Amino acid sequence: MAATLSLTGPPDLDLSSASDLSVSSRSSNRSLRVAEKERKKKKAEDPFVLALKYFSDVEAGTPVNGNDEVERNMVLVEKLAYSKGLSPEAISIMLEFAMSLRMGTSLCARVLKCLIPATLVPQEAVVRAVVWLSVGKIPVSTQILFIKWVLTVFDMIDAKDQLRAVYGFIFNFVTEENLCPFICHLLYLLTRKESVRVFRVRKLLELQSRLGRQPFLLSLLSLYKVFCPEMVMLSIPSRIKSGFRNHNMPWKSALIAVQKGAGPHVAAGISPASTTIKTNPRKRKRCHLELPVMTSVVSKEAQTEPSSCGKVVPLVQLHSFAQLLENMHRIELPAQMGSLLGSSLALQYLDCVQDESALLRLNFWLGYALHEEFLFCGDRGASQNSQEALPFLDRLLSTQHFLQEGFSCSEAFLYKFLNVWDGSLLRPQILGLLSNIPVVPSAQIRQLLFEPLMQLFFTSSLFFKCGLMECLNNMLLKWLTWHSVYALEDDLDISLNSHTSINMTLSGFKDSVMELVDFVGRLASLGLQLEGCHSLLLSFVLDFYETVCDMFMKYGLPLVVMPPPGVFYPALFATDPVSVDRLAYIMHRYKVNFTSAKSQEELTKQAFHISRQMVREFNHYIIVMVNCLWNSKMFQLDMGLSLGEDLLLKSKVPQYWASFDLVHHPAFMSYAVDFHHRPGCIIQQRSYEITRDGLTLNINIFSLSVLAWRKDMDLNSIKDSKPWSWYLEFLVSQGYDGLKQFVQSNIGRQQLPADEGPGDSGAT
Amino acid sequence: MERHQNRYNSILLITLLKYYFLKETRTPRNNVVVHRRRKSKSYRLSYRSGLGAADSRLGWSPALTARRLNTSRKAAGISNIAERVDPGQLALLVKTEWQLSYVTPLHQFRHTQLKSYARQLSAFIAAGKQQGLAVEVEGLQTTFRVSFSLVQGMTQSDEDAESVLVQIHSKRLFARQDEPQKPVWSGWLTCINGNPDYLRALPKDFVCLPLFGCSGADGLSALVKSWFQQSFDCCFGLLEISHTSLQWLMALWTNCHAESGIQHLKMIWTLPAAPPLQVTYTVDPEDAWELWSSVRKGKGGGGGGEEEEEAGENYIDIEEVTSFMQGLKSHFYRHFRLDLSAGSLNQVSTALGSAKYSGRMKISNSRYMITTLTLLTECALLKMPI
Repeated sequence: MAATLSLTGPPDLDLSSASDLSVSSRSSNRSLRVAEKERKKKKAEDPFVLALKYFSDVEAGTPVNGNDEVERNMVLVEKLAYSKGLSPEAISIMLEFAMSLRMGTSLCARVLKCLIPATLVPQEAVVRAVVWLSVGKIPVSTQILFIKWVLTVFDMIDAKDQLRAVYGFIFNFVTEENLCPFICHLLYLLTRKESVRVFRVRKLLELQSRLGRQPFLLSLLSLYKVFCPEMVMLSIPSRIKSGFRNHNMPWKSALIAVQKGAGPHVAAGISPASTTIKTNPRKRKRCHLELPVMTSVVSKEAQTEPSSCGKVVPLVQLHSFAQLLENMHRIELPAQMGSLLGSSLALQYLDCVQDESALLRLNFWLGYALHEEFLFCGDRGASQNSQEALPFLDRLLSTQHFLQEGFSCSEAFLYKFLNVWDGSLLRPQILGLLSNIPVVPSAQIRQLLFEPLMQLFFTSSLFFKCGLMECLNNMLLKWLTWHSVYALEDDLDISLNSHTSINMTLSGFKDSVMELVDFVGRLASLGLQLEGCHSLLLSFVLDFYETVCDMFMKYGLPLVVMPPPGVFYPALFATDPVSVDRLAYIMHRYKVNFTSAKSQEELTKQAFHISRQMVREFNHYIIVMVNCLWNSKMFQLDMGLSLGEDLLLKSKVPQYWASFDLVHHPAFMSYAVDFHHRPGCIIQQRSYEITRDGLTLNINIFSLSVLAWRKDMDLNSIKDSKPWSWYLEFLVSQGYDGLKQFVQSNIGRQQLPADEGPGDSGAT
Repeated sequence: MERHQNRYNSILLITLLKYYFLKETRTPRNNVVVHRRRKSKSYRLSYRSGLGAADSRLGWSPALTARRLNTSRKAAGISNIAERVDPGQLALLVKTEWQLSYVTPLHQFRHTQLKSYARQLSAFIAAGKQQGLAVEVEGLQTTFRVSFSLVQGMTQSDEDAESVLVQIHSKRLFARQDEPQKPVWSGWLTCINGNPDYLRALPKDFVCLPLFGCSGADGLSALVKSWFQQSFDCCFGLLEISHTSLQWLMALWTNCHAESGIQHLKMIWTLPAAPPLQVTYTVDPEDAWELWSSVRKGKGGGGGGEEEEEAGENYIDIEEVTSFMQGLKSHFYRHFRLDLSAGSLNQVSTALGSAKYSGRMKISNSRYMITTLTLLTECALLKMPI
């Protein structure tokens, strides 16, 4: 890069090759020259070269404000500097431009900040700049910046002889108050024996008497003493090695990045004068995601009650679980509660600590970090890079999983964040946090949760929809678990342990759960419609209803909510057998729950609040399912799915009433065919068919030729009583236990399908 | 509205109009819109976790507070703050431009321990400044002296904690021995008319001083903040003065014109053009006052003078502020065909004070300080994570 950028470099190719060329090859030489010319032309058009040209030619006093050209060129230079570094020529031009203050002081600092050398820094440029230092009216802060820059790139300066020649000149700046430490450092690097002079020693001693024994002066003096011990009488502590600060050099990180990109050949020679591990300035801005270091509150403790100091044990001193147990009663919390997240031992302690203000402190810190990162930071140009956010959220999530509870600050944060979230940034983490939020009162749940989620749901991809369904399912599971842990059996009110001051009535909790289930029902109905009943989404929806149908049995919550038709029918008519099977399982569990609730009602003589409406809905669904899958009585008037008779006839579907039974259902058709195709089945069938004379021939033909079988296959034959039960067994053997349970609980076993009525739905 | 426009057609409103291109092109046009949306949304939902029903052991459930900017506030009355507050402290508060931050409640902060805090902080700063030194050099005396002081008389309600002023003095490196130390950094923590529900809901061992202003070297600010963070387990975040708050300040200040002249009403707008356009819009104080009083009269009805006196308190409504802004914008539009509502208000200033979106604020007249600080305290409380 540096080579192509050189402005002044002679086109040596032309010169060197010209001498070797014979006359005969002149034509080729010419074409070479043309090519060279073009190369030059191209080079001249390079925007970066143009930018450099601009900076070398620009006249003094050109206004900066409103000058788009300088802005554009500046951006070009900065971009290249931060990506690849600047060539020596570019450094010369830019340094000259900056230090001459041709366009004012503000640009000067900006240029200095981006002077990142790609290879070397020409000495002449540095010397010229040093001269400008005394000529121009450069502000002190910029002067410091310049000296710092020289210190940073000191080892990359191609030669030092001229710099040493102006040693005395540089030395003069020592009397400048603010520059002194940096100038001393630079002098330290430049000093040779011949530069140690009596008057310089005297000057430094004089400074020292004024300033006290400043480390930078001592260091320089000690170096002088090494060279000329007879001149420096001062006794210098032997401990002193280098008193120079590791200044926070703004170039360090950029330099390292450029060198990394440039490869080993440059990096080897460069180890800037002062070595320090520099924190990236950009990182510093975002430090709110860094966990604070765990420290004990020694200072405060010492001030207030020194007597108790010996008794408490700071958490930071504990290293094992055994120690934690031993000192449980006298543990002192760290100065910053945020540090607890960093240690698993501390989390163990947090799990049992009941100190309200300690938790509040943690919540303040955590909430602050989340807000700054995701809500306030966007304004300040901090790009949403997930490099730090991702591990932070992961840590937060694992903490919440460990404690099995969500922090209230993350809850409050989510309610705000959901309104601005695009649904894709850190989706798994955000959904994970969302599933941890505690029960939301039904009065607020719509505004806080449902409205933003609804917007996100309907504007996002299928995968987001599935993710959200899973998240809401987890949320419901956590709420129900919480209920089953904290609810007392003999009391309808949920009284929590003593340390939680808030109670929630059972009816309040039920309302919230009801709202959530209703909401998911609405989302699922519309979502399935939008996505064309995608089986992936359907599967997540059914997951949710698997939780819902067992609320009474598994979690002791006296509440049963049926899925809406928008979920029930897509599942019933799904093209994949798994969905139908799961629906059957869910309906079976509903029935179990209803029955158990009813028997409990009788047992305890307590009014049980399962609404008639729910029972009616349940019965209706059961009738539909049984009619559909079992009885081949689709589209009966009482089924709710009423289609005009003439319309059905018009559709010309033969036997439309049977098109969703277990044989003809699109999800099971393949099994029916498979079953029909099975040797065992055929033999059975034959033995059965034999009794019916007319069909014997058919079977024989079938068993002889598969192709012919296709044509004459009569799946309806399965519906006869015996093959029907074999077919069911076959389905069960394929893993459809849901169907089995459904049939067992809803349909009398012995009855033949032909005259089977709808199963008894016992919960009525 | 039509009536106003006709009236103001004749008034020369704009004394100065400057277009110039912003040097920094960092904020593309979209950004402006986006962050405004965010801002308003993040305020819109005003939820305190808990709500009397949440249940987490890890949670904390203070009373539900209305967490949005008040839509009506008391007009700035002349306060007798000059009589109550130490004039030296007041002079410091008034003459400086402050960079504002919000602070989460301080844990275990005691107003009685300010002396020891001063000692600790100066030690902390010395340690911080020492960092990076290869060896400890004896004789390097601490050049920083820290003082903590109580600003008495600032509080307005019983719930407000007393304000605290922190000052750092230092000697110049090349100063003579006898030269006195000079103040190099100052900052304060305050809470004026903080939301009483929020303050009451905090446990006893927290002190809520949500508004922090500082002026001085950034390095020192960072050190002071990190000392506070470590000592009181609190967090500092930049407090921007939102578009709405800036408009509020304009209205509140303009409202004072009759008592003490505002001299000028200056706004700086940024318009999302490419390259971004910055508009400086300066309004003659008399014209601003006239527009403002017409807006006020329109609200209160013709002879509202007596009513106001009867009510005792003089309240300003957000509608009045909005129509005031609308009047200014439409006037600008008539002259320059440029709709300022497309842009964002970045800075407002009058003789009473100035405020910038970036969170820099200066109060030039102590008489109206309380009103401004009340508004800013409210903004800071809105930023609280919980």
